[in-house]
Order: sequence, then C-alpha cells, then structure tokens
Amino acid sequence: MAVQDTETDSRLGVDLGAGLTLKNPVMPASGCFGPEMGTLFDLGQLGALVPKTIFYGERAGNPAPRTAESPAGMLNSIGIPSRGVEHFLTELLPEYTKYDSPVIVSIGGLGIEEYDRLAERLNGEPGVAGLEVNISCPNLEAGGMEIGASPANVERVLRGVSDRFDGPVIAKLTPNITSIADIAKASEQGGATAISAINTLSGMVIDVDNQRTVTGTMTGGVSGPAIRPIAVRMVWQVCSAVSLPVVGIGGITSAKDALEFILAGATAVAVGTANFTRPTTMLDVIEGLKTYVETHHLSSIDDVRGQLEEGMRVAIEPPRPATPVSGRAG
Amino acid sequence: MTSELLDANGTIPVFAGTHVPQLRLPSSVRLEVMQTNGHHAPAATFVETEIISNEEIAPEHYLMRVRSEALANGEPGQFGVIRPGSATDIHPILPRPMAVYQYDKAACTADFVYRVVGYGTAAMAQRRAGDIVEIVGPVGRPFPISDTTNGILIVGRGIGVCSLTTLIDEANRRNIEIYAVFSARNKDVVLGKDMIKKARGNALYVDDSDGSSDVENVEPWISEIIESGRVQQAYVCGSNRLIELVTRLAAPADVETYVSLEAHMACGLGYCHSCATGAFGESAESPLVCRDGPVFRCHPAGVTV
Repeated sequence: MAVQDTETDSRLGVDLGAGLTLKNPVMPASGCFGPEMGTLFDLGQLGALVPKTIFYGERAGNPAPRTAESPAGMLNSIGIPSRGVEHFLTELLPEYTKYDSPVIVSIGGLGIEEYDRLAERLNGEPGVAGLEVNISCPNLEAGGMEIGASPANVERVLRGVSDRFDGPVIAKLTPNITSIADIAKASEQGGATAISAINTLSGMVIDVDNQRTVTGTMTGGVSGPAIRPIAVRMVWQVCSAVSLPVVGIGGITSAKDALEFILAGATAVAVGTANFTRPTTMLDVIEGLKTYVETHHLSSIDDVRGQLEEGMRVAIEPPRPATPVSGRAG
Repeated sequence: MTSELLDANGTIPVFAGTHVPQLRLPSSVRLEVMQTNGHHAPAATFVETEIISNEEIAPEHYLMRVRSEALANGEPGQFGVIRPGSATDIHPILPRPMAVYQYDKAACTADFVYRVVGYGTAAMAQRRAGDIVEIVGPVGRPFPISDTTNGILIVGRGIGVCSLTTLIDEANRRNIEIYAVFSARNKDVVLGKDMIKKARGNALYVDDSDGSSDVENVEPWISEIIESGRVQQAYVCGSNRLIELVTRLAAPADVETYVSLEAHMACGLGYCHSCATGAFGESAESPLVCRDGPVFRCHPAGVTV
C-alpha cells in the first residue's frame, strides 16, 4: 500500500523566528535524513528539510561498525562523512529544493574558523532557508562537542555565523554538559535566532564476549526513545533560559512524544532515530498533531506551547454517600 | 565495462583496517563498485503489509512470506530492510537488512529466510501470519546477468545462500544453465535445494559434518566448471574462503565474479551512512554496502581493470 499523503492544516503552522515560518512543526533531525527518503514519500509534506551536517571540505567519517542497537535506542559513531560545501551546493541541495519545504542547512566544523567559512559561502545561496550550527557532534576528532561545551566558544561561533549569514541561524546544542541553559544563553548572545536541542548523548556499548566496543570507536552518541525524558527536561530548561524559538529533538516516535516537547516549550520538533524505525514517522506525527488540535479545539498548535504545569492533576473521587445505595452497610 | 576501482593502488583490500566481521574480506580480493550502465533497478518503497506465513524451515531458520507487489518485482540480489517487532518505542527499534530469498511475481509475494541469531531475529520469529510487517524495499544493486551469458555459477554458504537464490529462478526463466555449490554447517540447514531441483540445476551440496565443505574438496568441482567454459558469470556469498576461491579460479577464465556483502545498517537507503565499507584514514567516504552494493564485482588483488 502506498504511503498516504497528509494535507496541509493551517493550525499546524509555526514561526521559528527570523522569517522562518513552517507549514507544520515537524522536521527531520540532521543525520537521520536524506534525499533518498524522497523515494518513499513526498518530502514536501514536512515542515522543513534538514540535510546531514556538511563540512567545508571532504571527510571520510569514522571506521565501521558505525551503528549498534542499544536499549530502546541506538549508538552511532558515523563521524559525519561529508563531500564538502561545493559538492553540497551543486549535487545535493537541488535534491532538496525540489520539494515545497524550506531547507535548513546543518553546518559543522573542526575549528571555529570552519563555521565562519561555511556561513560566508552559504550566505545568499538560493534555496538555503537557514543554517543549523552543529556544535554538538560527539563523534569528531576535534571541534563538535568540544566547542559546544564552552559558553565562550559557542558565543564566538554563533557570532561568527550570524555576522556572515543573513538569515535564520539555529544553534544545535549538546546534552553532554552541566548546564544547557548556560549554553543556550551563550547562543542567544552570539546572535542565534533559534535553538535546537538535543544532539546525541555520549555513550558506550561493550561486547563482553569480544571485549571491545561495538562500534569502530570507543564512544558514540546515544539516540532514540531511551533519551527522550532527558531531552524533554533539557528543552524545558532551554525554554526557561532564553526567549528564542526551540526545536525539540530526542526520541520522538509519535505525536504524543512531540507534544511533550511542545508542552515543555518547543516551537517545533525534529524526528531522528525513528526515521530508521519507521520511515513515515514524521507523517504520523503531523497527522497526530492535527488530531490533537481538532480534539482540543485549538486554533493553533502554538496555543499549547509551554502550557505546562507542575505535577499531575489527580482526580479525587467524590465523597461516598452516607447511606449506601444498596441499603447494606459496608 | 568502465569501472570505479575502490582501491586504486591494487595492493590494499578495501576493507583493510576495519574489524567488522561481515566486512573482513580476504586480502587477495579487491572490490569494484558496479556501474549501473543505465539499468535502473526497482526503487525502494515503504511497504506495510501482511505476513502470509512465518514458519521454521530448518533448525533456527525461518521463512517469512509477505504480500507486496513492490517487493515481488525486485531483482535478484536486492534486499529488504525489515522491522522485527511492531512497537516503535521499545527494543529492538532498528530494522534488519535481509536478502529476498524468492520472488513470486504472479502471487505478489516475496520470501525472506533468516536465521535466529539475536533478539531482533528472535522477535521476528514471533510474528504470526496476518500480522502487519514494515519493510523498506526492494533496495540495493541487483546481481547483473549479462545477455550473452548461458551458464552461471552460484556459490554460497550458510545464510549467505539466501542472497543468491533469486538468481536461480531468473536463470531458469532465461534458460541459463545453473551450477551451484551450497555449503552449510550440517546437512539439516543446506538451503535452496528445492529451488535448484525445480530449475533442474547442477548442484554440489556440502557441509562440515563430513568435511565435504572443505575448500580443497570443493575446488576441483568449481575448477572443472570454470575451465570447461560452461559459465560466464559467478556469484558468491557467505564465506570468505569461497569468495577467495571463486575469484582466483574465475579470473584467468574471464568469468566475472560478483559478491553480495552484509553489514550493519539502519536505513538501507544510504542516508544513515552506517554501512560504509571503507578503511579508516581515507580522506573521502568509501562506498556504502546498501546504496553502492550489496553486490560488488570481485577481482584478484593486484589486477588492474
């Protein structure tokens, strides 16, 4: 059976700031998506398209094995293979711009200057609707998380990118730090127009029979449903710390999961690992959000953003009637 | 055939330096990404379909038959990426790549044979007829059978045989002579026998229980077939020793050798980049098993094409 297309519903439209408006709040997480998915369904149904992170030049990525399953999730040490920015612009970008969704280009760097060069090169390129600044990959030999764990470096990278790129700049944060609020504030000060959180959690899986790690590197990044509660908490902390729109990421497999992030304060959400589990997950999330706005009589999905109270409401049973209905003492 | 050589200097096998058991090839073999030459294999679709049957056909080995026109129209050597369970939130969450064992275009079905080796395949073995299964497929570059071929050699071992069996029906349909060596650990699990019989192919079934599967015992049979000029193309899967043997014997006789590889992968389409074949330290990413394979051309190391 062919994949059922979704219809656009204006109640799902959201504003990610700096002129970046989305027809719905659902996009893929960088690294878990590519134009190859376009053979499975119309990618123009998505709120935005986020390609795999590119570097300025070509790089091979990490040795195999690069992925392994972990409880309710996966560990990856892909290491961001990239053909470089020129190859991206001539070969890959056209594969994305043919769809009716804005393309948010994810950029990476082994050093601060690489981000500057990428921002300069991508500025003004038609089809680039915004940048996501990946300062959070745990699988690089340099840069990545090292940059993303230092508020001073984060502010410097975001300053460099936002000075050189005239458009939305989204800072993608690592969870592998003590205070994500501090990193979010540094991003805001550097000129980020939005935040996405979180990238993968640094982790290890060991094959005890062979006494070695299951990936080609010692550590990898953990993603999937296993990390969702951590991601929701961090998104809530980010939303409490800054006034920027936030893209919530971490183990989303359904509309219910996406709503957890939206209630925690996220404006939009990104689906990563679940694209591997079930490639049409993003369409499921969009359909589920439509049902939610319908059943809760919302004029916009944005009406529930951040509408979170502490603690569960506990239904209290009304007091029992003094005289038992049956007439028998009990 | 113009070729993109994986290993330009001809001395280091493409998989040197990696320690993926599935990808560790003998150093005497070098791989080449096949040129598509304008041939476009059927594109992948996302299939949510009914399981027609899921039965144990040999100890630890199951055959899952699913109804799908898209999958049934795949080509020899293509595979599907199958989600073992049905929940999206709990272990296991990643789909498993599996070769199509047999197509039935008329009945719109595709069969997958798998061995229960871990919790993913164990979960798959629990699925029942009538359950809905999710599969991305058909994916991967198929085995090429050239128009001028009038005989093929198929050499497989263990579950690797299941990557080769779709060649049997295709060769039979095209009146191509089939010569097969199917090897297994014991006589209970030699797969593909019924298909060879139906196609009236010539086969040597060997196993470890009596030592008949030793390379020294298999070599004379393969050697004779290749030297007789009865086959123009050879296909191997499931054993490094057999890959090495066929590549070595086939090259001097100008018989083309193809191998189907397996690897860990998450997407099956190329966007997750899990199944890169390459050695660490190269400046560019090497081919992916899912997108650039799983079928690769084999050459003896040191031979330049």
